[in-house]
Amino acid sequence: MSESGALQGLRVLVVEDEMMVSMLIEDMLGDLGCTVVGPASRLDEAIELASRTELDCAVLDVNLGGQPIFPLADILRAKGAPFAFATGYGDAGLREVDRGSPVLQKPFREGDLARVLGELKAALV
Amino acid sequence: MSIGGLAPDLANTDEFRARLAAAEIALAEETRRADALNRIAAAIGRGGDLEGVVQAVVDGGVELTGAAFGAFFYNLVDDKGARYTLYSLSGAARSAFASYPMPRATAIFEPTFLGLGIIRSDDITQDPRYGRSAPYHGMPPGHLPVRSYLAAPVKARSGEVLGGLFFGHPEPGRFSERLELLLEGLGAQAAVAIDNVRLNRDARQELEDRRRAEAALVDSEKRFDLVADTIPMLCWIAKPDGEIVWFNRRWYEYTGSTPDQTLGWGWRSAHDPKILPEVTRRWAASLASGEPFEMVFPLRGTDGLYRPFFTRVEPTVDENGEIIRWFGVNVNIAAETANRERLMFALQAGRLGSWELDVETREYEASDLCKANYGRRADEVFTFDDLVATIHSDDRGRMTQAIETAIRTGAEYDIEYRVVLPDGDTRWVHARGRAAQTADHGGVRRMAGVSLDITERKLAEERQRLLLNELNHRVKNTLATVQSIARQTLRAAPNGALYRDAFESRLMALSKTHNLLTDQKWAGASLHAILAMELTPHAGGREGGGSRFSLESARDIRLNPKAAVALGMAVHELATNALKYGALSSSAGQVTVKARVVDAEAERRLILEWTESGGPSVAKPTRRGFGGRLLEQGLAGELAGEVRLTYDPGGLCCTMDLPMDALEPDE
Repeated sequence: MSESGALQGLRVLVVEDEMMVSMLIEDMLGDLGCTVVGPASRLDEAIELASRTELDCAVLDVNLGGQPIFPLADILRAKGAPFAFATGYGDAGLREVDRGSPVLQKPFREGDLARVLGELKAALV
Repeated sequence: MSIGGLAPDLANTDEFRARLAAAEIALAEETRRADALNRIAAAIGRGGDLEGVVQAVVDGGVELTGAAFGAFFYNLVDDKGARYTLYSLSGAARSAFASYPMPRATAIFEPTFLGLGIIRSDDITQDPRYGRSAPYHGMPPGHLPVRSYLAAPVKARSGEVLGGLFFGHPEPGRFSERLELLLEGLGAQAAVAIDNVRLNRDARQELEDRRRAEAALVDSEKRFDLVADTIPMLCWIAKPDGEIVWFNRRWYEYTGSTPDQTLGWGWRSAHDPKILPEVTRRWAASLASGEPFEMVFPLRGTDGLYRPFFTRVEPTVDENGEIIRWFGVNVNIAAETANRERLMFALQAGRLGSWELDVETREYEASDLCKANYGRRADEVFTFDDLVATIHSDDRGRMTQAIETAIRTGAEYDIEYRVVLPDGDTRWVHARGRAAQTADHGGVRRMAGVSLDITERKLAEERQRLLLNELNHRVKNTLATVQSIARQTLRAAPNGALYRDAFESRLMALSKTHNLLTDQKWAGASLHAILAMELTPHAGGREGGGSRFSLESARDIRLNPKAAVALGMAVHELATNALKYGALSSSAGQVTVKARVVDAEAERRLILEWTESGGPSVAKPTRRGFGGRLLEQGLAGELAGEVRLTYDPGGLCCTMDLPMDALEPDE
C-alpha cells in the first residue's frame, strides 16, 4: 500500500459490534501500519476506551446492537479526534452534526479505508 | 180628402186637370219614395251581411234622389291620414273607380267624413270649395261626370262617423232641398243598419270565441288527462278539505284499486299501517296551514310490496288567495333508495367518509364516517374551518394549497395528511375530491369527495420502509462478513485448494444459520437447532459410524439473530477443528456439549462447555488461527462475554460464559 507509510503508527479506535467486520477492519488497519485501539463492540466499552486511551482518530459503526453511536461521536468531537462512520445503513441514520464526517459504506475495500484515514489524519494537523 | 175638397168650379178646368196631374205625379213620386224607403227598411230589418244592407241603402238612395250614381264610402284612417274606401256603388260599374285613388279629406269631402252635415250642390263644379286640392284641382280625368252633388255622413249611435253616402248626377240642379231631409233619414237608417250588422257580428264573434274557448278547454282537459296518465308518477287532486276527487291511471295501476275504493279517503288503505298515522298527522297539518306537504312514505303495490314514494302536495289558490284544490304527486324512489343504500353500504364497507364543499360559501357537509375520520361524533358540528384546524400544522399549508389549486383549475384533489384529533391522537387521512359543479368563471362551484383513515396503511408503509432499510443493512453487513471470512481464510490457507474448501465450508455455515433465522422470520433461532445443524453431519466422525456427539442441555435457548450468526460460526469452527485435528478425527473420540443457564449476581448467564475426549493428544498451537481468534476475541467481544479455549492433552475444551441479555431476542 502506498499510503501505509503515511498512516504508520496512527492510533485508530475501532468500534464495531459485528465480530467478523470488526476482525476485518482490524486486519486492514494492521496491514496499513496503524495501531488498533479496541476493537470495542459496545458503547460503554468504547466510551471508556476513548477516555483512557491515547488515540488519533476512530472508525465507528453507526449502530451498536440497536444503540446509536452518537454519544461517543460527541465525546470524540470534543476531544478533537476526527472519525469516520462505517455503516450498512447509508447515511440516512446520521445526525446533521455528523454529516461532515466521512462515511464508509459496508462492505469497503482496504483502499477506501486508507483514503478515509488519510482524510482523518489531514484533519488532525 | 183634400182633392175632393177643391172648389167645384175648378173641377173641370184645365188648371184643375193640370193640378190633378201634378198631384198624381207627386203622389206617384211619394209612393215611389215610400216604396224605396220600405224596401230599405225591409232590407235593414232582414239584417244579414253588411254588404247586402249597405247596397240596399245605396240603391234605395239612388232611387229616392233620382241620382245617376250613388256610393257609400267607408271611413278608413290609416297612417297617411283619413282616406275613404269604396264600399258600395250604384248606377255605375265598380271599375269606374278602380283607377282612381280613394277620395281624401279635401274641402269638399271633409264635412261629410267629419260628420258635420249634409252637403248639397246644384253644380258642384261651381262650388267655392271645389277644385282647391292638388293634384287634380277637381275631378280627376275620366271621373264619372258629376254636376249635381248630394252627400250625407253616416254616424253610428256612438258618434263615430262610419262613412258617407254620396249621390251625383251629370246635370245640374237635380237635387231639391227637400231631399236633404230624406238623405238625413237615409244616413241614420244606414247607420242603424251598419250598427245592427256589427252588433250581430260581434255577438256571433263572441259566440264563436266562446265555442273556441270551450273547445280549447276540452282539448286542454284531454291533454291533461293524456299527460297525467302517461307520466310515471302517481298524481291526484284533492278538495280544500283533503278529500281526493281524482287519481291518474298510474295510481290505479300501481295500487290495484278502483276509484270506489280509494277516492275520498279510501287511499289510506294503500299505506303502511305503521306509517299511516304520521302521514295523516302531517297531511292534516298541511290542510290546516295551507303549506305544501312533503314526505317520503311507503305505498303498497298490487304485488303486496311496499315501495318508498317521495310525495309532494301543492295547494292551488284563487285570486283571493283561497285554496281551491290540492295537487299531489307520488314519485316511486325505490330504485334511487336502493342505489343510495348500495352506495352507503359500499362507503361503510370501505370505511369511506364522504363530503361536499360549497366553494363560494365554504359550507361543508361531512358524512358520519367522514366526521369520525377527524375524531368527531355524528351529532357534532364540523365546519370547513374545523377541518382545516384539525389538520396537522405541518401539513395544513399543503392541504389548503391543494384545495385552492383544485378549485381554481378543476384538477383532482388528492392528498394525504395528518390530523390531530380532539383527544390529541394523530391519525393519517387520505382525502380525494373533484369538482361536482363548475362555476361560470370556469373554476369549481362545488366539490365532493371521500376521506379515508389510512393510519394503518401509513404505519405499514413505515414498517415496510424500516424493514427494507434493515434488510439492506443486513445484506451489507453479511457482505462485509463474507469479505472478512474470505480475507482471513486466505491469510491462513497454505494453498488454493485448502482455501477454497475452508472458505466454502464457512460460507455454507453462515448460509445455514441464515436459513434457520429465515424459518423464524429473523426473529430468532434455537441454540439446539444451531448445534444440531453443525454437529449432526459429523456425528459419526470422519469415518462415520455411531453418534459420538452428545448434548446435555436442560432446555433450549432462543437466540437473537446476531447471537445466532455469531454462535453458528463459532460452533462451525469448533466442529471443523474437531473433525480435522480433534476428537472426531479419530475413531473413538467423543464431543460433549453442556449448556446451562445460571443466575449470577444481577444477571442470567449461559454457560456452554464444549469438551472433546478420546481423540489425539492436544497441544496449544504456536500461533492463534482464525478459529481461536473468532472464539476468544470475536465471539467474546460481540456477545460481551468470556470465551476460553483450554488445550487439555485429553482433548480440547471451550468454555463460553455469555450474558443472556446479549443472546435473547429483544421482545
